[in-house]
Amino acid sequence: MFYRMAGVYHTRYDRARALWPVPADRWQIIVVFALALAAPFYLSDLYLGSYALPWLIWSAATLSLTLLMGLAGQLHFGFAAVMAIGAYTSIHLARLGIPFELALLGAGIAAALIGALFGAAALRVKGLYLVMATLAMQYLVDWVINNVPAISGGAQATLRTPPASFLLVSLESLEVRYYLALVWAVLLAVFFMNIKRTSFGRALVAIRDKDFAAAVIGIDPFRYKLLAFFTSSFVGGVSGALLAFCYYRAVTPEQFGFNVSIQLVAMVLVGGLGSVIGGFLGAGFVLLVPIILTNLVSGLAASGFLTVSSNLLAHLPLMIYGALIIGFLIFEPLGLAKIYDNIRKYFLVWPFRHSRS
Amino acid sequence: MSYFVELVINGALTGLMYSLVAIGFVLIYKSAGVPNLAQGAVVMTAAYVVWLLASLGLPIIVAIVLGTVLMFGFGLLTERLLLRRMVGQPVIMIVMLTLGLEILLRGIGPGLLGAAPKSLDLGIGLGPVIIGDVFINRAYLVGGVVALALIGAALMFFQTRLGIKLRAVSDDHVSSWAVGISVERAVGISWGIAGISSVAAGVLWGSVQGVDWTLSTLLFPAVAVAILGGIDSIWGVLIGGLLVGILGSVIPGYLDAVVGGGTRDVVTSLIILLTIMIRPYGIFGREDIERI
Amino acid sequence: MKWITHRLFAATLLGAASFGVANAQEQPIKFGLLQDFTAVYTFVSGEYNQGQRDYLTLVNQEGGVDGHTFEAIVRDTGNQPQRGIEAYNRAREEGAILFDFLSTPVSRALVDSVLKDKVVMITPVHGRGDASDGEVFQYVFPTMATYWSQATVLARYIEDHGGLEGKRIALVHIDSPFGREPLPVLQDLAAEKKFELKAFGYPSPGNEQSAVWSEVRRFRPDNVLIWGAGGGQPVSVREAIRNGIPAENILSVVWLAETDAKNVGADIMKGVKRFEAVSTGTDNPILQRIKAKVIDPGLGAGDAAHVGTSYYNIGVATMAVAVEAARNALKSEGGPLTGEKLKAGFEQIKDFSAEGLMPALTITAKDHQGGGAGRVSQWNGEAWEPVSDWGPAYQELVQKEITKGSQAFREGK
Repeated sequence: MFYRMAGVYHTRYDRARALWPVPADRWQIIVVFALALAAPFYLSDLYLGSYALPWLIWSAATLSLTLLMGLAGQLHFGFAAVMAIGAYTSIHLARLGIPFELALLGAGIAAALIGALFGAAALRVKGLYLVMATLAMQYLVDWVINNVPAISGGAQATLRTPPASFLLVSLESLEVRYYLALVWAVLLAVFFMNIKRTSFGRALVAIRDKDFAAAVIGIDPFRYKLLAFFTSSFVGGVSGALLAFCYYRAVTPEQFGFNVSIQLVAMVLVGGLGSVIGGFLGAGFVLLVPIILTNLVSGLAASGFLTVSSNLLAHLPLMIYGALIIGFLIFEPLGLAKIYDNIRKYFLVWPFRHSRS
Repeated sequence: MSYFVELVINGALTGLMYSLVAIGFVLIYKSAGVPNLAQGAVVMTAAYVVWLLASLGLPIIVAIVLGTVLMFGFGLLTERLLLRRMVGQPVIMIVMLTLGLEILLRGIGPGLLGAAPKSLDLGIGLGPVIIGDVFINRAYLVGGVVALALIGAALMFFQTRLGIKLRAVSDDHVSSWAVGISVERAVGISWGIAGISSVAAGVLWGSVQGVDWTLSTLLFPAVAVAILGGIDSIWGVLIGGLLVGILGSVIPGYLDAVVGGGTRDVVTSLIILLTIMIRPYGIFGREDIERI
Repeated sequence: MKWITHRLFAATLLGAASFGVANAQEQPIKFGLLQDFTAVYTFVSGEYNQGQRDYLTLVNQEGGVDGHTFEAIVRDTGNQPQRGIEAYNRAREEGAILFDFLSTPVSRALVDSVLKDKVVMITPVHGRGDASDGEVFQYVFPTMATYWSQATVLARYIEDHGGLEGKRIALVHIDSPFGREPLPVLQDLAAEKKFELKAFGYPSPGNEQSAVWSEVRRFRPDNVLIWGAGGGQPVSVREAIRNGIPAENILSVVWLAETDAKNVGADIMKGVKRFEAVSTGTDNPILQRIKAKVIDPGLGAGDAAHVGTSYYNIGVATMAVAVEAARNALKSEGGPLTGEKLKAGFEQIKDFSAEGLMPALTITAKDHQGGGAGRVSQWNGEAWEPVSDWGPAYQELVQKEITKGSQAFREGK
């Protein structure tokens, strides 16, 4: 009903290939985009700064990782280290007086170069071994950041971002930072939706499905695997820099630790491997559910529905969160994107029961 | 010289302590092909279970035996309720599931029993075993002996009728079904045995550092042990444990003073990386041959 | 927990009646205790937070301050900065004017916000040392001895008991910024007092340290300072004793408590010393009143067995200082309180010792640490026994570091 297919006639091939051939989808995107644009006008600072803003930046990071994990099929358990390289590069460049726009570019390039080194392991192994290799690299990057005061910022290991401006607009106000994050997330989403239609994207998918078979049909796995790591690390590095400048505004090593890498992987997987909407939903889930659960549980306790010890109270969100991840994987291994897709397909033919596409 | 010997011996014992954690990881990977990244949290759970039983007034030996039974059941249940539903899913989904399990366990243990570290006293004396100028850590000595015994038991177990079945299952699920081996049961049993080994690891590590959630961080060195030795090899756990322990003790022992920082994690990471780059299947592991 | 609101309401009424001020509708003064209950700081946060809440309950039971009651907003941040930021902004919207994060990453991520939003952040015994400079860190209050002052108090103890000159002192620390924090002060002191200092770092989280201690033993130290937290601490003590270092020569940072003694073995640890910013036990009148008015009526925030433990008492002391600051602020600035007024209240604290629970504390606009006093106490097999008097040590050296650090912060580094 809502997704009315009736009256949609594709008379030209490029119409049929449009990103959203169904008008309802298009409307939905427009509404969501308009809501996101207007967010600073109807959200309080609390929700804008602590929910919407980090959600957008983490979604961008998730999309960067999805490019690698979902599209190219290369597992990466050290992506937080890549983002850390971006964040630290941008902050050091900005402190040297280099304009923020160039610092962002530098962050991307530094992250891409070192991130491509991570990819070296991918040329040799895959699957679990790649997980372990990237994990080990995460530890190495962490160690270097922690043990080189010139990088981490001396005794307190905290580097504050210098005042910066993007295209002459100062990043001091929350709204500006929100819009910058929004622009970046939208840019990445559009990039990601279109990359699957390029030869590059198709080559990555071929490698994901079977790298030997891809080699047989003339796709050089060496080149494309490295390119996948390079591209994904580039956007990951820029996302890391934005995370530092727009959200944290001070970097410490703990912000990019091993558990953050795991969170990123969880965002990709819970959202649904390889889908754009999954990137946004997964990032939202992993980032916001623990926060919401914590507030919910203490709200329940405060209103007398939950009388347990404060220790158990603090751990309840952790338990529920773990159980939710397990539950999602067991009941819908394809993630939140698939759940969304099921709902969409249901309404596509509603009130009838079976769908074709 | 005695410094070097001491580093080697204590390193080797530490490595065997890591092997205790690694052995469960390897058993599950060998039989089911599941990389159980929750093994550290399972070790933590085992330590909590034994601590709980001991704090109910049971003698520590009884608590350990009872804990072993409970953890065997825990392993069986985990496999039956969670992992079996994931058969046929890509490895990354299974990895994520075990990570979810880790989060869940880390909530349940400290949440229900209290987050402050608990003490687990095994009655192992604190005084070192002194040979010349070499001090050997007594708790680690006990741990090393237990690890050796467990590895030996595992090796012998794989010669029994049930063990041969498990080996068949680890070779090929479909052919095992074809000759009438219950793959489900074999996989379940290997989870149970991994639960048992986690009691040994949890109790020994718990007695050294106290029982709290940090026990679950033992996963990382254990994975290094498993990767180096070969992720599906019991011998590999032994040799990998000794190598990771000795390298992780000797190299920092000389390098830390020069670098001015704890380099052990770097050594462990480099061991993983180099192994994967040079010989991904480890020292004793079986090389996978991939067909198109 | 309806009874909490009922109780607060009743307490407010009581307070209003006894002080003759009819402001029962007045909002309680809110403190945001947004700490890490599930990750790195679990070894301390449970007891610490329990102490804080029990003290606030006690104040409310006794009628509040001039009829004003206190409310704690407690949330778990899991040591994750993004959750800390959310909890901070939410609590600020609910009207909290004082924050205690008890987590290095979260505090660091929020220092700038706190300075900008003009609300008070307390970082008792754990925060960055240079925040003692009240002119740069206007809204950050360590309120107790920072790690730098803790190191100097321990060094003064060694000096007083056998002298420092010619001694060999090992600093065995967790290899993190926290573990390395005392190094600069100790190095300055080593140059001044001519003792030999060597630092040994073990990898985080410290559950395995045998290689490091083999090296420490060969250094043949006269004294060992152990600088870690949580599970690493009992391992450090055990390894030190195993390597033949007498328990009396082991001195620890503030993070060594009763639970660690239990983990090491209460008898084995006999003789080990640690820095102490707040006395332990239940002898203090405040603790007695907590027992009588909070624990016995069943209003306690947790296990009654924790009352009087090291971390519990630190929690009590932090809130005693905060409530004292609120009292000063209400007196000199008048209600309703804001972050700015509370800051002024903190800076008027003079010779406050929480009825003997802690060393006399004087906070000024310049010195937010409040003197940096502490003492050394020794584990006697059952409890911590003070072996020195309250007092600061070598504050001129600490001051040098404070100036250096705050200078860098001011310049935006």
